[in-house]
Amino acid sequence: MPNQPILRYPHPVLKKVCNRVVRIDATIQSLVDDLLDTMHAGPGSVGVAAPQIGVSLRVCVVDVSNSRHGRDNHHGQLCMINPEIVARDGLAVMREGCMSVPDYTGDVERATAITVRFSEPDGSPREIEASGFEAVAIQHEMDHLDGILFLDRIMSIKTGLFRRKSYA
Amino acid sequence: MTNQPETLHYAVSVVGKDRTGIVAGIAEVLFRLGCNIADSSCTMLAGEFAMILIVSHPRPFSKTKLHDELKSVCDTLGMSLAVRTLHADEVVRKETSDEICMISVYGADQPGIVYRVTRELAALGVNIMDLNTKLIGTPEEPVYVMMLEAAIPEGQTPEGLEALLGNLKKELSVEIGVRIITPVAF
Repeated sequence: MPNQPILRYPHPVLKKVCNRVVRIDATIQSLVDDLLDTMHAGPGSVGVAAPQIGVSLRVCVVDVSNSRHGRDNHHGQLCMINPEIVARDGLAVMREGCMSVPDYTGDVERATAITVRFSEPDGSPREIEASGFEAVAIQHEMDHLDGILFLDRIMSIKTGLFRRKSYA
Repeated sequence: MTNQPETLHYAVSVVGKDRTGIVAGIAEVLFRLGCNIADSSCTMLAGEFAMILIVSHPRPFSKTKLHDELKSVCDTLGMSLAVRTLHADEVVRKETSDEICMISVYGADQPGIVYRVTRELAALGVNIMDLNTKLIGTPEEPVYVMMLEAAIPEGQTPEGLEALLGNLKKELSVEIGVRIITPVAF
Protein backbone atom coordinates (compact mmCIF):
# COMPACT_ATOMS: atom_id res chain seq x y z
CA MET A 1 0.00 0.00 0.00
CA PRO A 2 1.14 3.55 -0.61
CA ASN A 3 1.30 6.26 2.01
CA GLN A 4 -1.64 6.40 4.38
CA PRO A 5 -3.54 9.40 5.68
CA ILE A 6 -2.37 10.51 9.12
CA LEU A 7 -5.17 10.10 11.64
CA ARG A 8 -5.91 13.08 13.82
CA TYR A 9 -7.06 13.31 17.37
CA PRO A 10 -9.84 12.59 18.51
CA HIS A 11 -9.50 9.32 16.57
CA PRO A 12 -9.66 6.79 19.44
CA VAL A 13 -6.74 4.68 18.20
CA LEU A 14 -4.38 7.54 19.09
CA LYS A 15 -5.18 7.17 22.80
CA LYS A 16 -4.86 3.39 22.97
CA VAL A 17 -1.89 1.45 24.27
CA CYS A 18 -0.67 -0.53 21.25
CA ASN A 19 -0.19 -4.29 21.28
CA ARG A 20 3.23 -5.87 21.10
CA VAL A 21 4.14 -7.48 17.81
CA VAL A 22 4.20 -11.21 18.53
CA ARG A 23 5.55 -12.45 15.23
CA ILE A 24 7.42 -10.43 12.64
CA ASP A 25 5.97 -11.60 9.35
CA ALA A 26 5.05 -10.18 5.95
CA THR A 27 2.15 -8.22 7.47
CA ILE A 28 4.53 -6.40 9.76
CA GLN A 29 7.01 -5.82 6.98
CA SER A 30 4.26 -4.31 4.84
CA LEU A 31 3.18 -2.15 7.81
CA VAL A 32 6.76 -0.87 8.05
CA ASP A 33 6.69 -0.07 4.31
CA ASP A 34 3.43 1.85 4.76
CA LEU A 35 4.92 3.79 7.65
CA LEU A 36 8.02 4.63 5.61
CA ASP A 37 5.91 5.70 2.60
CA THR A 38 3.75 7.83 4.88
CA MET A 39 6.81 9.41 6.50
CA HIS A 40 8.37 10.18 3.13
CA ALA A 41 5.10 11.65 1.84
CA GLY A 42 4.78 14.13 4.71
CA PRO A 43 6.83 17.22 3.99
CA GLY A 44 9.59 17.38 6.57
CA SER A 45 8.22 14.39 8.47
CA VAL A 46 10.84 12.72 10.65
CA GLY A 47 8.74 9.88 12.03
CA VAL A 48 5.43 8.04 12.01
CA ALA A 49 3.99 5.57 14.50
CA ALA A 50 1.63 2.74 13.53
CA PRO A 51 -1.41 4.12 15.42
CA GLN A 52 -1.13 7.32 13.38
CA ILE A 53 -2.18 5.26 10.34
CA GLY A 54 -4.75 3.29 12.32
CA VAL A 55 -2.75 0.20 13.34
CA SER A 56 -2.56 -0.42 17.09
CA LEU A 57 0.79 -2.21 17.07
CA ARG A 58 4.12 -1.26 18.62
CA VAL A 59 5.86 -0.25 15.42
CA CYS A 60 7.30 3.12 14.41
CA VAL A 61 9.75 4.60 11.95
CA VAL A 62 12.11 7.53 12.48
CA ASP A 63 14.51 9.25 10.13
CA VAL A 64 15.98 12.61 11.08
CA SER A 65 18.84 12.49 8.57
CA ASN A 66 17.15 15.01 6.26
CA SER A 67 16.16 17.36 9.04
CA ARG A 68 18.34 20.36 9.77
CA HIS A 69 18.06 19.52 13.47
CA GLY A 70 19.21 15.95 13.06
CA ARG A 71 21.40 15.68 10.01
CA ASP A 72 24.67 15.79 11.92
CA ASN A 73 23.76 13.17 14.50
CA HIS A 74 21.59 10.23 13.47
CA HIS A 75 21.29 6.54 12.68
CA GLY A 76 19.63 7.02 9.31
CA GLN A 77 16.33 5.30 8.74
CA LEU A 78 15.13 3.44 11.82
CA CYS A 79 12.33 0.87 11.62
CA MET A 80 11.53 -0.11 15.18
CA ILE A 81 9.37 -3.02 16.23
CA ASN A 82 8.53 -3.35 19.94
CA PRO A 83 10.97 -0.57 20.86
CA GLU A 84 11.92 -0.16 24.50
CA ILE A 85 13.94 2.58 26.12
CA VAL A 86 16.41 0.84 28.43
CA ALA A 87 18.36 3.91 29.54
CA ARG A 88 17.86 7.63 29.46
CA ASP A 89 19.99 10.59 30.37
CA GLY A 90 19.63 14.36 30.56
CA LEU A 91 16.58 16.53 30.08
CA ALA A 92 15.91 19.29 27.59
CA VAL A 93 12.87 21.22 26.46
CA MET A 94 11.86 21.47 22.84
CA ARG A 95 8.77 22.99 21.31
CA GLU A 96 6.92 20.16 19.60
CA GLY A 97 4.06 19.77 17.22
CA CYS A 98 2.45 16.65 15.81
CA MET A 99 0.74 15.76 12.53
CA SER A 100 -2.04 14.12 14.56
CA VAL A 101 -2.69 17.35 16.51
CA PRO A 102 -2.41 20.09 13.90
CA ASP A 103 -2.17 23.81 14.62
CA TYR A 104 -0.90 23.44 18.16
CA THR A 105 2.56 23.38 19.67
CA GLY A 106 3.96 23.29 23.15
CA ASP A 107 7.14 22.92 25.16
CA VAL A 108 7.89 19.32 26.05
CA GLU A 109 10.70 18.05 28.25
CA ARG A 110 12.44 14.86 27.11
CA ALA A 111 15.62 12.92 27.74
CA THR A 112 18.55 14.19 25.69
CA ALA A 113 20.09 10.74 25.27
CA ILE A 114 18.44 7.32 25.21
CA THR A 115 19.36 3.71 24.65
CA VAL A 116 16.66 1.96 22.65
CA ARG A 117 16.27 -1.75 22.09
CA PHE A 118 14.03 -2.99 19.30
CA SER A 119 13.62 -5.56 16.54
CA GLU A 120 14.40 -4.83 12.92
CA PRO A 121 11.86 -5.75 10.21
CA ASP A 122 13.98 -8.86 9.49
CA GLY A 123 13.53 -9.90 13.12
CA SER A 124 17.06 -9.23 14.29
CA PRO A 125 17.51 -7.43 17.61
CA ARG A 126 19.22 -4.06 17.68
CA GLU A 127 20.25 -1.58 20.31
CA ILE A 128 21.21 2.02 19.59
CA GLU A 129 22.25 5.03 21.58
CA ALA A 130 20.49 8.09 20.23
CA SER A 131 20.97 11.66 21.35
CA GLY A 132 19.81 15.15 20.51
CA PHE A 133 17.01 15.61 18.03
CA GLU A 134 16.95 11.94 17.05
CA ALA A 135 16.38 10.97 20.68
CA VAL A 136 13.49 13.45 20.93
CA ALA A 137 11.93 12.12 17.72
CA ILE A 138 12.17 8.52 18.94
CA GLN A 139 10.58 9.41 22.29
CA HIS A 140 7.77 11.30 20.53
CA GLU A 141 7.01 8.37 18.22
CA MET A 142 7.30 5.82 21.03
CA ASP A 143 4.81 7.84 23.09
CA HIS A 144 2.27 7.19 20.33
CA LEU A 145 2.65 3.46 21.03
CA ASP A 146 1.41 4.12 24.58
CA GLY A 147 -1.45 6.38 23.52
CA ILE A 148 0.42 9.43 24.76
CA LEU A 149 0.25 12.64 22.74
CA PHE A 150 2.62 15.59 23.21
CA LEU A 151 -0.40 17.38 24.69
CA ASP A 152 -0.07 15.01 27.66
CA ARG A 153 3.49 16.23 28.25
CA ILE A 154 3.30 19.98 27.66
CA MET A 155 5.08 21.89 30.39
CA SER A 156 4.00 25.36 29.35
CA ILE A 157 2.37 26.89 26.34
CA LYS A 158 3.67 30.35 27.07
CA THR A 159 6.60 31.81 28.86
CA GLY A 160 5.88 31.54 32.55
CA LEU A 161 8.17 33.60 34.73
CA PHE A 162 7.44 33.63 38.41
CA ARG A 163 3.76 33.11 37.84
CA ARG A 164 3.31 31.82 41.34
CA LYS A 165 4.59 34.90 43.06
CA SER A 166 1.96 36.51 45.22
CA TYR A 167 1.53 40.22 45.54
CA ALA A 168 0.96 41.98 48.80
CA MET B 1 -23.35 41.82 -3.21
CA THR B 2 -20.91 41.41 -0.38
CA ASN B 3 -20.00 37.94 0.73
CA GLN B 4 -21.42 37.54 4.22
CA PRO B 5 -19.52 35.03 6.33
CA GLU B 6 -21.56 32.37 8.08
CA THR B 7 -19.82 32.93 11.39
CA LEU B 8 -19.40 36.12 13.32
CA HIS B 9 -16.32 36.75 15.43
CA TYR B 10 -15.77 39.04 18.36
CA ALA B 11 -12.74 40.05 20.38
CA VAL B 12 -13.65 40.09 24.07
CA SER B 13 -11.41 41.39 26.81
CA VAL B 14 -12.14 41.28 30.49
CA VAL B 15 -9.83 42.68 33.18
CA GLY B 16 -10.25 43.08 36.88
CA LYS B 17 -9.11 42.19 40.36
CA ASP B 18 -8.41 38.49 40.61
CA ARG B 19 -10.85 36.22 42.44
CA THR B 20 -12.20 32.74 41.93
CA GLY B 21 -15.01 32.24 39.45
CA ILE B 22 -14.13 34.86 36.85
CA VAL B 23 -13.52 32.38 34.04
CA ALA B 24 -16.54 30.30 35.02
CA GLY B 25 -18.73 33.43 35.10
CA ILE B 26 -17.67 34.56 31.63
CA ALA B 27 -17.75 31.04 30.21
CA GLU B 28 -21.28 30.50 31.53
CA VAL B 29 -22.57 33.49 29.58
CA LEU B 30 -20.80 32.40 26.42
CA PHE B 31 -22.08 28.84 26.78
CA ARG B 32 -25.64 30.02 27.39
CA LEU B 33 -25.54 32.24 24.30
CA GLY B 34 -24.15 29.41 22.18
CA CYS B 35 -20.83 31.15 21.60
CA ASN B 36 -17.68 29.28 20.78
CA ILE B 37 -14.39 30.30 22.43
CA ALA B 38 -12.06 29.97 19.45
CA ASP B 39 -8.76 31.27 20.82
CA SER B 40 -8.12 32.66 24.24
CA SER B 41 -5.36 33.73 26.55
CA CYS B 42 -5.96 34.50 30.19
CA THR B 43 -3.37 35.33 32.78
CA MET B 44 -2.75 36.97 36.08
CA LEU B 45 -0.86 40.25 35.92
CA ALA B 46 0.05 41.50 39.37
CA GLY B 47 -3.27 41.03 41.21
CA GLU B 48 -5.34 41.52 38.07
CA PHE B 49 -6.82 38.73 36.03
CA ALA B 50 -6.88 39.49 32.31
CA MET B 51 -8.84 37.55 29.72
CA ILE B 52 -8.62 37.97 25.97
CA LEU B 53 -10.94 35.77 23.94
CA ILE B 54 -11.86 35.39 20.30
CA VAL B 55 -15.48 34.33 20.37
CA SER B 56 -17.55 33.08 17.46
CA HIS B 57 -21.25 32.53 16.83
CA PRO B 58 -23.17 31.56 13.68
CA ARG B 59 -25.38 34.19 12.07
CA PRO B 60 -27.72 35.64 13.11
CA PHE B 61 -26.41 36.98 16.39
CA SER B 62 -26.57 40.23 18.24
CA LYS B 63 -23.42 41.91 19.48
CA THR B 64 -25.56 44.00 21.78
CA LYS B 65 -26.91 40.88 23.45
CA LEU B 66 -23.39 39.47 23.86
CA HIS B 67 -22.18 42.74 25.32
CA ASP B 68 -25.14 43.21 27.66
CA GLU B 69 -25.01 39.68 29.04
CA LEU B 70 -21.25 39.89 29.59
CA LYS B 71 -21.59 43.36 31.10
CA SER B 72 -24.03 42.06 33.64
CA VAL B 73 -21.66 39.34 34.88
CA CYS B 74 -18.64 41.69 34.68
CA ASP B 75 -20.44 44.22 36.88
CA THR B 76 -21.11 41.50 39.43
CA LEU B 77 -17.46 40.39 39.32
CA GLY B 78 -16.08 43.93 39.26
CA MET B 79 -14.41 43.52 35.88
CA SER B 80 -14.02 45.88 32.95
CA LEU B 81 -15.26 44.70 29.57
CA ALA B 82 -14.61 45.42 25.91
CA VAL B 83 -16.26 43.68 22.95
CA ARG B 84 -15.23 44.34 19.37
CA THR B 85 -16.65 42.82 16.19
CA LEU B 86 -13.96 41.29 13.99
CA HIS B 87 -14.21 41.57 10.24
CA ALA B 88 -14.02 38.37 8.25
CA ASP B 89 -10.60 39.25 6.86
CA GLU B 90 -9.28 39.69 10.40
CA VAL B 91 -10.14 36.11 11.32
CA VAL B 92 -7.40 34.21 9.59
CA ARG B 93 -4.94 31.76 11.00
CA LYS B 94 -1.57 33.10 10.02
CA GLU B 95 0.72 30.49 8.60
CA THR B 96 4.35 31.37 8.85
CA SER B 97 7.42 29.63 7.58
CA ASP B 98 9.56 32.17 9.38
CA GLU B 99 11.93 31.15 12.12
CA ILE B 100 10.40 31.68 15.55
CA CYS B 101 12.73 33.04 18.20
CA MET B 102 12.63 33.63 21.90
CA ILE B 103 14.20 36.98 22.62
CA SER B 104 15.06 37.48 26.26
CA VAL B 105 15.88 40.91 27.59
CA TYR B 106 16.71 41.58 31.21
CA GLY B 107 18.59 44.06 33.30
CA ALA B 108 18.36 46.81 35.89
CA ASP B 109 14.95 48.41 35.60
CA GLN B 110 14.84 51.70 33.73
CA PRO B 111 12.31 53.57 31.63
CA GLY B 112 12.08 52.62 27.98
CA ILE B 113 13.26 49.03 27.85
CA VAL B 114 10.11 47.78 26.12
CA TYR B 115 9.94 50.79 23.83
CA ARG B 116 13.57 50.77 22.74
CA VAL B 117 13.74 47.04 22.13
CA THR B 118 10.43 46.74 20.31
CA ARG B 119 11.13 49.84 18.21
CA GLU B 120 14.38 48.24 17.10
CA LEU B 121 12.63 44.95 16.34
CA ALA B 122 9.90 46.68 14.34
CA ALA B 123 12.53 48.49 12.29
CA LEU B 124 14.17 45.14 11.55
CA GLY B 125 10.89 43.65 10.37
CA VAL B 126 10.58 41.30 13.33
CA ASN B 127 6.96 40.48 14.17
CA ILE B 128 6.17 40.00 17.87
CA MET B 129 3.80 37.09 18.51
CA ASP B 130 3.91 36.96 22.28
CA LEU B 131 5.30 39.29 24.89
CA ASN B 132 5.62 38.94 28.63
CA THR B 133 7.25 41.41 30.95
CA LYS B 134 7.83 41.17 34.64
CA LEU B 135 9.33 43.41 37.27
CA ILE B 136 11.38 41.28 39.64
CA GLY B 137 14.19 41.75 42.13
CA THR B 138 13.98 43.95 45.19
CA PRO B 139 12.68 47.50 45.59
CA GLU B 140 16.32 48.60 45.99
CA GLU B 141 17.47 46.71 42.93
CA PRO B 142 14.53 46.23 40.59
CA VAL B 143 15.19 44.01 37.59
CA TYR B 144 13.12 44.08 34.44
CA VAL B 145 12.55 40.87 32.49
CA MET B 146 11.02 40.79 29.04
CA MET B 147 10.39 37.63 27.07
CA LEU B 148 9.34 37.93 23.45
CA GLU B 149 8.35 35.33 20.94
CA ALA B 150 8.87 36.68 17.48
CA ALA B 151 9.00 35.66 13.84
CA ILE B 152 12.21 36.82 12.23
CA PRO B 153 12.21 37.69 8.55
CA GLU B 154 13.62 35.29 6.01
CA GLY B 155 17.37 35.58 5.66
CA GLN B 156 17.82 36.71 9.27
CA THR B 157 19.49 34.48 11.82
CA PRO B 158 19.26 34.58 15.62
CA GLU B 159 22.97 35.39 15.75
CA GLY B 160 22.51 38.17 13.21
CA LEU B 161 19.59 39.59 15.13
CA GLU B 162 21.50 39.42 18.39
CA ALA B 163 24.38 41.28 16.76
CA LEU B 164 22.00 43.93 15.42
CA LEU B 165 20.68 44.42 18.96
CA GLY B 166 24.23 44.69 20.29
CA ASN B 167 24.34 48.50 20.40
CA LEU B 168 21.08 48.67 22.28
CA LYS B 169 22.35 46.07 24.70
CA LYS B 170 25.37 48.25 25.49
CA GLU B 171 23.39 51.46 25.65
CA LEU B 172 20.78 50.10 28.07
CA SER B 173 23.20 47.80 29.92
CA VAL B 174 20.80 44.89 29.58
CA GLU B 175 21.26 41.30 28.53
CA ILE B 176 19.71 40.40 25.20
CA GLY B 177 19.63 36.81 23.99
CA VAL B 178 18.05 35.36 20.88
CA ARG B 179 17.43 31.66 20.40
CA ILE B 180 15.40 29.59 17.98
CA ILE B 181 12.25 28.01 19.34
CA THR B 182 10.64 27.14 16.01
CA PRO B 183 8.44 24.14 16.77
CA VAL B 184 9.52 20.79 15.40
CA ALA B 185 6.65 18.82 13.89
CA PHE B 186 6.58 15.07 14.29
